[in-house]
Amino acid sequence: MLTFIVKRVLSGVVLLAVICALTYALLFASGLDIARNLVGDQATPEQVAQRARELGLDRPLVERFAEWVASALSGDLGTSWFTAQPVLGTISARLPVTLAIITVSIVVVALLAVSIATAAAMRGGWIDRAVQIGSIVGDILPNFVLALLLVILFAIHWQIFPAISTIAPDAPFSAWVESLALPVIAIVIGGVTGSTQQFRSAIIGQLEKDYVRTLRSRGVGEGEILFAHVLKNAAPAGLTVLSLQFVGMLGGVVIVEEIFAVPGIGSTAVSATTQGDVPLVMGVVMTTVVLVVLVNLLVDIVNGWLNPKVRVS
Amino acid sequence: MKFKKTAAIAAVLLPTLLLASCGGSAGENAGGEQGRSLTIGMLGDVTSWASEDAHVGHGLVPMQAPYDSLLRRDAQGELQPMLATDWSYDEARTALTLELRDDVTFSDGVAFDAEAVKANLEHFKDDALRQASQLAALDSVEVVDSDTVVLHLSEPDPALELNLSQAAGLMASPEAVGTAEADTVPVGSGPYVMEVESTVAGSRIVFTARDDYWAPELQQYDRVEFRVLEDVSARLNALQSGQVDATILDATTYDQAAGAGFEILEDYQTDWNGFTLFDRDGELNPALADVRVRQAINYAVDREALVEQIERGHGTATTQPFGPESGAYVDELDDRYPHDPERARELLAEAGYPDGVTLTVTMLPGWDGMQAAIRQQLSEAGITLTSEPVQFANMFGDIAQKKYEALHFNLFQSEAWVNVQQLLVENTLYNPFGSTDPELTGLIDELQSLSSGEQADAVAQQINEFVVENAWFVPLYRLDQVIAFDAERVEVVKQPQQAFPSLYNFAPAA
Amino acid sequence: MSNTELVALASMRTRTSPLRRLLTNPLGVVSVTVLGVIVLVAVFAPVIAPFGPNFAEVGNAFAGPGDGHLLGTDSAGRDVWSRLVSSTQLTLLSALLCAGVAIAIGLPTGLIAGYYGGLFDGIGNWFAGLIMSLPGIIVLLTARAAFGPSVWITMIVFGILISPSYFRLTRTAVQSARNELYVDAARVAGLSDVRIIARHILSVVRAPIILQTAIICAVAIGIQNGMEFLGIGDPLTATWGAMINDGFRNIYTAPQLVFWPALTIGLTTGSLVLLGNAIRDALEGGSTVAAPAKRGRRTAASASVPVSSAHLLEVRGLETGYPRVDGSTNVVVKGVSFAVDRGEVLGIVGESGSGKTQTAFSILGLLPQSARIVGGEIVFDGRRITSGDAGVDQGALAALRGRRIAYIPQEPMSNLDPAFTIGAQLTRPMVTGLRISRAEAQRRALSLLARVGIPDPARTMRAYPHEISGGMAQRVLIAGAVSCDPDLIIADEPTTALDVTVQAEVLELLREMQRELGMAVVVVSHNFGLIADLADRVVVMREGEIVEEGAVRDVLRHPQHPYSQQLLASTVAGRKPLTPLLTETEGSAR
Repeated sequence: MLTFIVKRVLSGVVLLAVICALTYALLFASGLDIARNLVGDQATPEQVAQRARELGLDRPLVERFAEWVASALSGDLGTSWFTAQPVLGTISARLPVTLAIITVSIVVVALLAVSIATAAAMRGGWIDRAVQIGSIVGDILPNFVLALLLVILFAIHWQIFPAISTIAPDAPFSAWVESLALPVIAIVIGGVTGSTQQFRSAIIGQLEKDYVRTLRSRGVGEGEILFAHVLKNAAPAGLTVLSLQFVGMLGGVVIVEEIFAVPGIGSTAVSATTQGDVPLVMGVVMTTVVLVVLVNLLVDIVNGWLNPKVRVS
Repeated sequence: MKFKKTAAIAAVLLPTLLLASCGGSAGENAGGEQGRSLTIGMLGDVTSWASEDAHVGHGLVPMQAPYDSLLRRDAQGELQPMLATDWSYDEARTALTLELRDDVTFSDGVAFDAEAVKANLEHFKDDALRQASQLAALDSVEVVDSDTVVLHLSEPDPALELNLSQAAGLMASPEAVGTAEADTVPVGSGPYVMEVESTVAGSRIVFTARDDYWAPELQQYDRVEFRVLEDVSARLNALQSGQVDATILDATTYDQAAGAGFEILEDYQTDWNGFTLFDRDGELNPALADVRVRQAINYAVDREALVEQIERGHGTATTQPFGPESGAYVDELDDRYPHDPERARELLAEAGYPDGVTLTVTMLPGWDGMQAAIRQQLSEAGITLTSEPVQFANMFGDIAQKKYEALHFNLFQSEAWVNVQQLLVENTLYNPFGSTDPELTGLIDELQSLSSGEQADAVAQQINEFVVENAWFVPLYRLDQVIAFDAERVEVVKQPQQAFPSLYNFAPAA
Repeated sequence: MSNTELVALASMRTRTSPLRRLLTNPLGVVSVTVLGVIVLVAVFAPVIAPFGPNFAEVGNAFAGPGDGHLLGTDSAGRDVWSRLVSSTQLTLLSALLCAGVAIAIGLPTGLIAGYYGGLFDGIGNWFAGLIMSLPGIIVLLTARAAFGPSVWITMIVFGILISPSYFRLTRTAVQSARNELYVDAARVAGLSDVRIIARHILSVVRAPIILQTAIICAVAIGIQNGMEFLGIGDPLTATWGAMINDGFRNIYTAPQLVFWPALTIGLTTGSLVLLGNAIRDALEGGSTVAAPAKRGRRTAASASVPVSSAHLLEVRGLETGYPRVDGSTNVVVKGVSFAVDRGEVLGIVGESGSGKTQTAFSILGLLPQSARIVGGEIVFDGRRITSGDAGVDQGALAALRGRRIAYIPQEPMSNLDPAFTIGAQLTRPMVTGLRISRAEAQRRALSLLARVGIPDPARTMRAYPHEISGGMAQRVLIAGAVSCDPDLIIADEPTTALDVTVQAEVLELLREMQRELGMAVVVVSHNFGLIADLADRVVVMREGEIVEEGAVRDVLRHPQHPYSQQLLASTVAGRKPLTPLLTETEGSAR
């Protein structure tokens, strides 16, 4: 197990390096006039050029990247070119918020998807059909429309939750809970479909297997068959879907953050990229990659724990 | 094994129950527990708190919390003393003498004096980028005594006094000027001090009232909070849920806010929407070199219809890029180009384009509907409108590189000289092809040497007439600033030529 | 797939193709219809749209329906219906492009990686991880900045970004299929890898892939929506995302502008997902034609009605069948009657399809969900276990299974849960069934394993099914079957799947245990040697009916019925009846 983890961590580091290099190159390949963005519409061309020099935009790409890597390794991710805020500080302040949204969403999606899929697979018939139809409801509305509806309903009409986030450094934990409830609901509704369908398929597949019948012949109850055996065997497929959803949510959370004005990392990523705020983008990318690698590692570990056959390979 | 399922259900329900019980905090105005409090919903972030990085309009208002300016523009648009008690030009209008207050200290304890002014202005001149033009004419700052400075200009600048009430006039503590920390924590002499513990950069910025502020009448609140809400529906939602007291909306949300019982400031226009025809010399599009073609475009648009359709009637059709309060405004000029597709066709034919012309303008995200309408109108005159999608982030760089023949944008209307500098001089970004005309240049030079008043206005009007007659632009309309607020909590009045009311214009409702 | 499933499917498949099955699934029909309509709309868009998608009637914005505008106009005075119809084509094609790119990259690589493993798998995995770790929104943004705002480019880039999901899904499915026996069989039979992948592996992979495609199309449309919202979409083309965004921007003025594109998107994505499910069900046969018998539910009537019977197990005129698509029933067990006494071994002989296994499962109550007991009754120990409503009394049977009636399956490896240790699978039902402690169950399990001839019971207890051989697995299953001291064992081809030498050992084991524990056994087999060795009486079945029955010596020596004679004549030539076909070998138990 340990060698497995070490190997994965190492390959994750390589991954990180490659992606950072790719992103760095991509940012400059897109032809953004970053210096002009920084100085605004009033500056003279000379000032633009000077700013470009200050940022080192005239130096070779590889040299700049090497510099960035060197300082990153020493823990200094630089400061944003646009806001002068230290990148590490921005990320460490905003990442927990986004992570909270995504983690809670994934957990809720998992619970819902498993419950719904199990009910559908076990009961079959009209319940199965109703569940299939019901679970696609989340796909009908794009998440920003859904988010707006949630706000109108829960924040303005019923006043249960705030319309915009109340998260602040000096705010109590309840501010987190109330501010993230609606974003989580929005994301869950949109995300539960895919997981439910894949879980359903996996569970049905397991229920058709021989060992289920043999277990029944041993007198094992339906409940235990389902929860101990079927789910455990269906878990790898389900976990794969969930891990894919997690990665997908990292991007999808952006819109929700904008509507609810949540101080997360999603909106930062978008604005940083469109402006060409290279240090900030690199910081966000690094963070994302590390997260994804960790999640994949976690899923593989859990898979190995659940599925003994996989452990051998 | 049954408990697993129960546990799952409980796990889902429990947080929901918890959340429902927390409902009480929603809708509360934070002011409840801390005296008088003001929360404003802004549409953009303040990316740098250094005084030299202040913007105009929206971007200036948050700066008014921690900083004072040398002069202050009141709600009628008149310049009032602030940190400077008196000011006067010399004959040549190249030396402005300022008398300063002697009883002001910055929040770090440093005294405000002439040396501080010198440090600020020189730093602005060296380092300011966004509003660098505000002190473009400044040559040097002379400290006469601790309460007196003289600003020596290289040439007359009619907008200088105005600028001293804007970014250029913001005074930071000389200890803070030019430091890295100034970008994140402002240190000024203003009525409020940033409360760093409660502030989340890019999301909410909190200021608390400063003790012994020298102008208590300008300090209406104990606490001021700025919420960064980039999405207009988020701003509306925040207003409706009581989480902000005032915010800026737009034509699409006007009715909703009004219907929900919020007040909206009337007659508040600061921007004009329309085309800036960069390519008057025909480098990219030869047809644009002909004034008749440009005039044809002006005839082909139906401005009133656009106001109705795009701004839902919240705007005023105009043919002039200068605003009614600028002094350059000429009422009759608004009749110069009535909607007349026939006339447009005639002009095009005269110019040698009987089959019509093509015009390519930039298109910002979300403006496709607007341009679809304009395209329809122009097509009736034989003008084909091509839209070129741009991103706001890339736009200025591309403009500077002369990629576009015309720009479709909202531009703000200020004092005449400011807009002249912004739009008409040779080396401004909004004149990328450097179009000039001897007549115009002469008028500009003349305007430069005049102080504000009737004479200056007359020259400004001539400049206005020139650009309108020569159709350097295709102004469409002035759009309303939709400033919505909760009249039960807040009183506010508009600030002329500023996109959002100054902080000083807000007061708790009686 | 096991024998029973094949039978169940056969009764459906003989009359129906997957397409037919798809179309009898109501959700399948609905989704196909809806999607068909949408595709037609896309194809005929130029004809049915009265206006161009970008034609704006200035001054007529936010008009309601009517006056030439079926659904009214939008914020620019553009006809909503025309825009909706014109954007259908573009949206659908671009979503398909995205899915197509993703499948084109992910499917072949996943197949190869899952099948061959090794270096390719490692590399493929690493690349999949790389692409998945790329921050999607940043890649999309920079691609847009570099290549322009076109929706086609965005969809291609997104397709590349999402291809690892196909890679992973395919790989996982292929890996699990690769270890199935039929793949080994195909290999042994000399089929080329390509053929194996194309014919056998691909069919396993179909279901998740189809589902995923439906989901991906929905996601692609969602991405278009999102990018429009963020202002980084393609502003010059009419897509549903553009319409939704326009509606969103004006939601307070004209909420209906959001409604129409949302409805279309919802119908399309919903139909895609439902269709994906329906196709999956049709291909895998997992869905049921009629409402299934609910398991574990006590029937209202006959709570195990006591019935007089002189025997331990009595089957009277049993008729079991499977409903066909056209409503008729394919009866596979046609009025079978026999009895088994305590301590007696009954053999049921017949060819494949004779109904012998169906009979066995009927007794156990472990028929597939679609099965129906349409006639007759089964009585166990004086209680009727068939119920009134075409099934068995699951409540009664649940109490009997594992405790008084046990089952020894045919295929040892697939009948053990791969995720649990042997010990766990063995002991847990003993704990609940016998109401003993875990420690006691462990002790008994160890002694059982020793009894069935496993050399290192403790190690086997800790092992997983894939770590032991087929012969050992079968012994474990036998141990499990006898663990609660049942009165009756139903053994379904207990040695057929084993190696030849192991067969003899397991046969000997069965015989010993039967004598030792005095259990009644119903052994189903097509192997006469086994029957001869084990059974006291035998019943010959053919096409669902009993053609002959009697003492085993009588039937095997002097078969009366022509079919029995035919069967017996087809055993290995040159052997006299009653001699075992198999000889014991020395050596360790396997």
